[in-house]
Amino acid sequence: MSIGVNVPRKDGQSKVNGQAAYVDDLSFDGMLYGVTLRSQIPHGKIRAIQFDPKFDWSSVVVVDHSDIPGQNIVTLIQRDQPFLAAQLIRHVNEPILLIAATSRKKAMEARTRIEIIVDELPSVTNLEKAATGVRLYGEDNLFKEIHIEKGDLPRGFAEADYIVERTYKTGLQEQMYIEPQGVIAVPGKDRISIYGSLQCPHYVVKALLPLLSFSHPDQVQVIQMVTGGGFGGKEEYPNLLAGHAALLAMKSECPVKMVYDRAEDILATTKRHPSIIRHKTGLKSDGTLTALAIEIDFDGGAYATLSEVVLSRGCIHAAGPYRCENIDIVGRAWATNNPPNGAFRGFGAPQTCFALERQIDLVAKTLGIDPLEVRRRNAMEPGDSTATGQVLTESVATHKCLEQAVKASDYIRKRSEYSKLLPKARIRRGIGLSLFFHGSGFTGDGENRIRGRAGLQVTPDGFIEILTSSTDIGQGTETIFAQMVAEELGIPVDLCRNAGVDTNRVPDSGPTVASRTCMIVGDLVRSAAAQLREDLIKWLAELENCNAEQITLVGGCFLLSGQRVASFQDLAKRACSEGGPASASKTYVQPEGLEWDEKTYQGQAYPVFSWGCDVAEVEIDLDTYEISVTRFTAAQDVGKAIHPVMVMGQIEGGSLQAIGYATMEEVLQKNGWIENHRMTNCLIPTALDAPAFETHIIEEPFSGGPFGAKGVGELPTDGGAPAVAAAIDHATGQRFDEIPVTPEKIELALNP
Amino acid sequence: MMRLPKFRYLGAKSLKEALQALGSVGPEGRAVAGGTDLLPNMKRRQQQPKLLVGLRQVPELQSLSGESGGSLGLGACLTLSEIAGNAALQDDYAALSLAARAVATPALRNMGTLGGNLCLDTRCNYYCQDQEWREALGYCMKKDGSICWVAPSSPRCWAVSSCDTAPAAIALGARVRLASASGRREIDLSDLYLDDGIRYLSLEPGELVEGILLPPAQGWVSTYRKIRRRGSIDFPILSVAAALKLDGGVVEKARIVFGAVGSRPKQAKEAAAFLGGERLTAESIEEAARLAAKAARPLDNTDGGLSWRKRIAQATVVRALEEILRG
Ligand SMILES: Cc1cc2nc3c(=O)[nH]c(=O)nc-3n(C[C@H](O)[C@H](O)[C@H](O)COP(=O)(O)OP(=O)(O)OC[C@H]3O[C@@H](n4cnc5c(N)ncnc54)[C@H](O)[C@@H]3O)c2cc1C
Repeated sequence: MSIGVNVPRKDGQSKVNGQAAYVDDLSFDGMLYGVTLRSQIPHGKIRAIQFDPKFDWSSVVVVDHSDIPGQNIVTLIQRDQPFLAAQLIRHVNEPILLIAATSRKKAMEARTRIEIIVDELPSVTNLEKAATGVRLYGEDNLFKEIHIEKGDLPRGFAEADYIVERTYKTGLQEQMYIEPQGVIAVPGKDRISIYGSLQCPHYVVKALLPLLSFSHPDQVQVIQMVTGGGFGGKEEYPNLLAGHAALLAMKSECPVKMVYDRAEDILATTKRHPSIIRHKTGLKSDGTLTALAIEIDFDGGAYATLSEVVLSRGCIHAAGPYRCENIDIVGRAWATNNPPNGAFRGFGAPQTCFALERQIDLVAKTLGIDPLEVRRRNAMEPGDSTATGQVLTESVATHKCLEQAVKASDYIRKRSEYSKLLPKARIRRGIGLSLFFHGSGFTGDGENRIRGRAGLQVTPDGFIEILTSSTDIGQGTETIFAQMVAEELGIPVDLCRNAGVDTNRVPDSGPTVASRTCMIVGDLVRSAAAQLREDLIKWLAELENCNAEQITLVGGCFLLSGQRVASFQDLAKRACSEGGPASASKTYVQPEGLEWDEKTYQGQAYPVFSWGCDVAEVEIDLDTYEISVTRFTAAQDVGKAIHPVMVMGQIEGGSLQAIGYATMEEVLQKNGWIENHRMTNCLIPTALDAPAFETHIIEEPFSGGPFGAKGVGELPTDGGAPAVAAAIDHATGQRFDEIPVTPEKIELALNP
Repeated sequence: MMRLPKFRYLGAKSLKEALQALGSVGPEGRAVAGGTDLLPNMKRRQQQPKLLVGLRQVPELQSLSGESGGSLGLGACLTLSEIAGNAALQDDYAALSLAARAVATPALRNMGTLGGNLCLDTRCNYYCQDQEWREALGYCMKKDGSICWVAPSSPRCWAVSSCDTAPAAIALGARVRLASASGRREIDLSDLYLDDGIRYLSLEPGELVEGILLPPAQGWVSTYRKIRRRGSIDFPILSVAAALKLDGGVVEKARIVFGAVGSRPKQAKEAAAFLGGERLTAESIEEAARLAAKAARPLDNTDGGLSWRKRIAQATVVRALEEILRG
């Protein structure tokens, strides 16, 4: 048994003993260090670039847009972002020039000797003015507009006894992975190798081919180094950084390392989209939701990056896990002159989930009933349909999660007990909850467009190597894949290992995003293992001159009519050396009946959803306005926990990110500048800010997932913020519709 | 990437060696203890000494010893972890013990020393920035510039004293021992601090903090409260040290000291005087806190919104005194 067991992490030992090699641990002979010269204005034209004549420019390599052999476009969804600004600057800290030298110090010194002369243009750095300000993108500054309609909205409002309206706001959030972005580019003849800290190696391949004017994917080799966290921040940004290092490497004909320091990483890389979300809800006096009208605005920043898909996921999750027949969701991602925003764990859903859950609390308040009651009455069940008209058929755990979290946290008793404390105590307690869901895998037919592949290879020493491009960025991919293969073959986990991620060697199993790795790629890995078992049994049957049905693989041994004939490892070795079945591979096949209309946003948005309920407890000091999240109970359904400890780690870590989002994480932006670009002022929670976690894993299996598993990666970042905000409301008697809720905001609310 | 500028290093083996080196090198020299403040500052080019004199191996600075009349001497190079972990200090000088424990993080407390903490550079939003940031702004008067961005018409610098141990030790009535190549002197710790963000210490050139001397603890009860954003790492947004000498519920003598509200630890003398002779009750605490808060007039130049920082001073004093009342 390898599934549901807390086997040692594959990456654990090397990370603890310091042997794990991150990109900055790697160096090559003759390697240069690259730095980036960036813009200092939010919008403008480059008039001239002046190089100090007193500096010895022959001692460094400088690259500008004219050195680009191919296209100056970062290939992603739209074709709007250049690798290096040529004439137009569209945000502060946009890359303009690249410099490489034999030391970082030298490269930085050269950078101070270059002056960019600019003509500033009017800029828009405020989401609320994105529509009315300067024209930045297309006709209307919209990267994307999405409309989801269900039922008949006017009828829904006509049927309502009450209509409640409110606007909600969320701010920027920085991923703050522990290891900043970094790559090394090693040039070869008509090829380049990239070693990097990244999530999506094949994205980098696709981005570099047109940049370098290469035609064959093998010309770009991308190798993932041990990666110190990503949280989405290393989904698309490494395309740009790898491109930069590659340009310097091609021009200098030397390996080039580019590793950001923390300040540059915070200033230049993508963050979670700030949002303004307006809700108008119709409800009956018994709490039934009759109409949900939701309007969502995201600040995409200066380039489209992934904004449209972030918006898409945000919109699809905007009406939440609630039954409602009349829904209208309008989402817009706007172009501004802020640095581009992009992927961050949750991918649009934490924003829309925050707004919706706060709105549901408002519904409860309007009716004078407990927020729990509203959720109990409206939570989806099998047979209900989502905003996109997707009818839920299996693996629906709303009520299970809700009741488990409520019971485990003693919500009902505490809710009334803390309310009674209200008038006198100076330190007040509050408790609040949230109910949420998160779709596993790519949206709609996205998986079918990717057609991920995974493979297994038997090694000469009889081990199984797992070949995928799914990166382990700390979340445990390597370990769970090994567990799945071990389970399917009935062999010890120790016999299974990962091949490492090298695009020249492993198949493209798609990017490591979208809560898809365990469920989608995991199932490819599992079915490849099933294939290999079958092939080995057939081969053994031939060798033994018997019927394949007579052979079983149990406990690491092949049995012929119950008698041991070979150990798995021995037969695997033989297969490898004697031309037997020594490999297997699988390609994603879309399940029958999946229907999705990208234009109308109707149909099956995700193969399945994971569900969760969070209950947060806080203490607020009414004299010092300090906020402390004291306890956090999460009940989250992941289908099947392949490795329960790591699932709990995902839930607790994601929850803590959500708690930070709700209470302290604030990226301050003014005129397109990020003002707090250091870890001393761009805060994330410390261990001492983590509440006591009580985590309950709910397992409502999904028939389409390996061993019943669904995704858990993003789900935990969705529900924490609204639960904490609800608890703060409960403690203070004030409503907070904007996060982060800081002591300053509480002070202001309590002393109007 | 921030790198240290070039400097020479001398690991002094005795106090005499350290003092002689610092005395002869002049303003180019600087003592370094744990380096947890000085080295990051050097990376940001806020300080650029040519010679660093390491104090960590100077035996005279490591002592922790009872002295005549029940006083306690603490050497400047005791680490904050050593101070926080000392059981006798926890019992008798709770404010200092709590303050030491509230500094930064475990790793920084293992390196950071009492002397370094007492001499911690003052902090300000316009100063605690990397060089590029300060250069873009045109620098400030504390380093390389001529203006104070907090109060542009101000002739002085308003950078803030943010060390945790000084308010606590001052509340406990500490004296500080200073040594230089030409001799030793002992002054009240509160007199070590000047109300100026640039020249915030009254140390003479070449002078070192050798240690502090805490008066007998008999009858005194003390505490330290620190407001900060997170449970760890962060400097104080405001702190309050309170020490009371109690005689059967009546305050014989009191000291209340604020940290992080000005360029030096601020004593709330009016409040302390008021408490003298008062019975400690909810009412006297409220009044003392009201008087104390008058001494806390922060400017908008550190972390934390100004309105919030202003409003919490009184309540934090109440909390500190209530804690003492509860015992
Ligand atoms: C992330 C971070 C968080 C921090 N948080 C806090 C905090 O919450 N509270 C807080 O108070 N501090 C904090 N600090 C600052 C610092 O770590 C502590 O103040 C520490 O106690 C400094 O001691 P040190 O021995 O490392 O000093 P050093 O860096 O060695 O020296 C600091 C200054 O004191 C001088 N000096 C040192 N010893 C002597 C001596 N014996 N005589 C005369 N001058 C001397 C040095 O020349 C230098 O100017 C923080 C630092 C960091 C990096």
